[in-house]
Amino acid sequence: MEDLCDKIISTDILIVGSEGAGGHAAIEASKSGADILIITKGKIGQCGASQMAGADFNVDGLGGRELGFEGDERDSPDLFFETLVREGLYLGNQKMLEKYVEYAPKAMKDLIDWGMKVYSYESAHTEEMARGIISSGILWVATIRKKVKELKIPILEDTMVVDLLTNEGKIVGAVALDIVSGEIIVIKCKAVILATGGWHKAYAFNTGPEDLTGDGVAMAYRVGAELISMEMVQFCPVTMVWPPKDKGSIILYIIKEVDPFGKTIKLLNKNGERFMENYDSTNLEQSTKEIVSIASQLEIEEGRGSPHGGVFFSLKHTRKRFMDMLIKVANHRIKNEMKDTRYEFTTLLPELLEMMKTEDAEVGNGAHYMGGGVKINENTETTIPGLFAAGECTGGMWGAVRVASACTEAGVQGKIAGELAPKYIKTVTQGDLNIAQVKEIINRMNGPLLREVGITPNELQLKMHKISGEKIGLIKNGKDLEEGVAEIEKLLNVDLQKLYVSSSKNKTLNFEFFRAIELRNMLTCLYLSAKTSLLREESRGEFYRKDYTFTDNDKWLKTIVIKRKDGKTEIKFETPTITKISLPSGKLTYQEAIGVATASLKRD
Amino acid sequence: MEKKEIIKMSCFRFDPEKDEKPHFEVYDIPLNGAMCVQDCLTYVRENVDPSLAFFINCRLGFCRRCLVRINGKSCLACTTEVQDDFTVEPLLKEKVIRDLWCESL
Ligand SMILES: Cc1cc2nc3c(=O)[nH]c(=O)nc-3n(C[C@H](O)[C@H](O)[C@H](O)COP(=O)(O)OP(=O)(O)OC[C@H]3O[C@@H](n4cnc5c(N)ncnc54)[C@H](O)[C@@H]3O)c2cc1C
Ligand code: FES
Repeated sequence: MEDLCDKIISTDILIVGSEGAGGHAAIEASKSGADILIITKGKIGQCGASQMAGADFNVDGLGGRELGFEGDERDSPDLFFETLVREGLYLGNQKMLEKYVEYAPKAMKDLIDWGMKVYSYESAHTEEMARGIISSGILWVATIRKKVKELKIPILEDTMVVDLLTNEGKIVGAVALDIVSGEIIVIKCKAVILATGGWHKAYAFNTGPEDLTGDGVAMAYRVGAELISMEMVQFCPVTMVWPPKDKGSIILYIIKEVDPFGKTIKLLNKNGERFMENYDSTNLEQSTKEIVSIASQLEIEEGRGSPHGGVFFSLKHTRKRFMDMLIKVANHRIKNEMKDTRYEFTTLLPELLEMMKTEDAEVGNGAHYMGGGVKINENTETTIPGLFAAGECTGGMWGAVRVASACTEAGVQGKIAGELAPKYIKTVTQGDLNIAQVKEIINRMNGPLLREVGITPNELQLKMHKISGEKIGLIKNGKDLEEGVAEIEKLLNVDLQKLYVSSSKNKTLNFEFFRAIELRNMLTCLYLSAKTSLLREESRGEFYRKDYTFTDNDKWLKTIVIKRKDGKTEIKFETPTITKISLPSGKLTYQEAIGVATASLKRD
Repeated sequence: MEKKEIIKMSCFRFDPEKDEKPHFEVYDIPLNGAMCVQDCLTYVRENVDPSLAFFINCRLGFCRRCLVRINGKSCLACTTEVQDDFTVEPLLKEKVIRDLWCESL
């Protein structure tokens, strides 16, 4: 083994990813006294989606009261659970959702005990329950980082886990690459908690950070773990498409959700028409996230978009005095009241508002949240013994709409994994590594470094983005999906095998080298997402097919589960796990179904 | 003043494996809409020289890992807009690992 790698490390539990889910899991697991090691592709508190979150956390109104917030006495854990099931359009896993509701106050209490500052508590509107605790991603991850450092939990930063190691179907370790030194590290462990987030970077237009390339999901798939709901990809409307420096920012989406300011906004197509009138004439721009994104995407695809592939976000109809007041209020609230230091709020927003006195902004749908991923149960166990998963890299809990906070999801599942992985490791001994498996992983990883000609990572990335943008985007249809599946399959089977590091063979900080590894993961996720999208012949929540616009409760109250077996993908259809709420029947139009889901919780 | 269409980025380069000492490389960057330093660096990595080492993560001022020196002043590559020729160097030259990436980041 020593001759295959640069370093061998042993631990009990390896946690992959250091943020909302991974960091929380590590802190919880450390209570047990087990040996743990965090490996993260960035630096703790400075990577992943968590730092960028709004961030709102959810607890039911009674739980909120117990935590010392205003709360909402009309609410209860049961009502919160019902909302989640109903608004997830019944595709969610009810056991997992019950656990979400039960653990939400516990995970929240941890964060408060660890010192996380809270900005505000969302008060109850007339029909809605108050369930939101508002902080910021920056404050959240700083809290976790501080605690991890305080507890002296071992951590390898700027290090990427490349693949998992199994023996007789059980987790025995992992292979990792130190991005800075280029060293290959083999880790021996009894359990792994995956907390690697989404695969945002598989799409050219997305809202996530650079490290989200679906690594955890793809590596779980490679060792035979079941994945679920890979077709559920949420796109965030009103994401900045232009200019380049602001691309991917969701600041205008956040502002659109702020009352009463949000109501003054108009979304316009290139003919200056307020197109939401044609899609939801009652709620207009205040319609659900799904309807606003589908409407704007249809405008774009039918040739009525803005020059850079979005629609216009307009405030030009308001008076200059109004805009001046708005800028003043926003500045005051952000800088003086919240003492918020986030660039998007302190700098970008005032700049944009100033610009919008005379010009419109261009906004579109960025890939934002992955509803699918590694299939876990309510105890965060995957289908591979010793493999746990938490946070956005998991799938199946929400169903067809991410109804409530993903920050809470990360905390809840991180906490559960941190409680249960230490119990699991007591029941097993460290298994032997399979040398052939380690060899194969390292050889494959080094392939692009050894090749002298072929396709560069930049070229492959461009091809991938073209396909994901044109064929596997927000609005799907059978023909495009079929082509998308075939084209991504070709990239995986042909192009990927020719990938080569073209510029420098120095393994230190070699972007081409690690992007080559990530490309395989992104392509794997995209392939599985396209394949499952093609199978789902309906539209439901965040999943929209132009050729099947009905929400079909008779045929499609089923989740799609996919895994790799003997080198092939194997697909199963499973009825969602039910506890208290039985599943509806009948075929509804997409709007009718979504109308049932009133989107009372508006997520960022 | 007329808006420039192409600006020059003078970029600190150093690969300890092959370079005896650091040098500057000048790249032509086509400006296409408001761009920040990070967009220029990405342009080079995607179109000219993929070996250029720098770090970006969030692209929107959250992670603070893209700290570099622009015309001598430390700033975030992803929030600093450029409209004219500029020089980009690592935050701490004495701690450079490769190109713009140094130890403390
Ligand atoms: C811009 C933006 C705003 C958002 N706003 C909100 C909001 O307001 N409310 C809300 O509820 N949700 C929001 N979300 C979603 C929410 O932030 C995420 O779902 C949640 O933070 C995910 O947490 P996580 O710990 O699972 O993953 P992440 O925070 O994404 O962390 C993933 C971790 O895994 C590491 N990693 C990845 N691959 C590897 C590998 N191969 N080896 C080692 N480490 C690896 C990463 O470096 C990182 O440390 C937002 C998302 C975005 C992008
Ligand atoms: S890339 Fe994160 S602050 Fe610049």
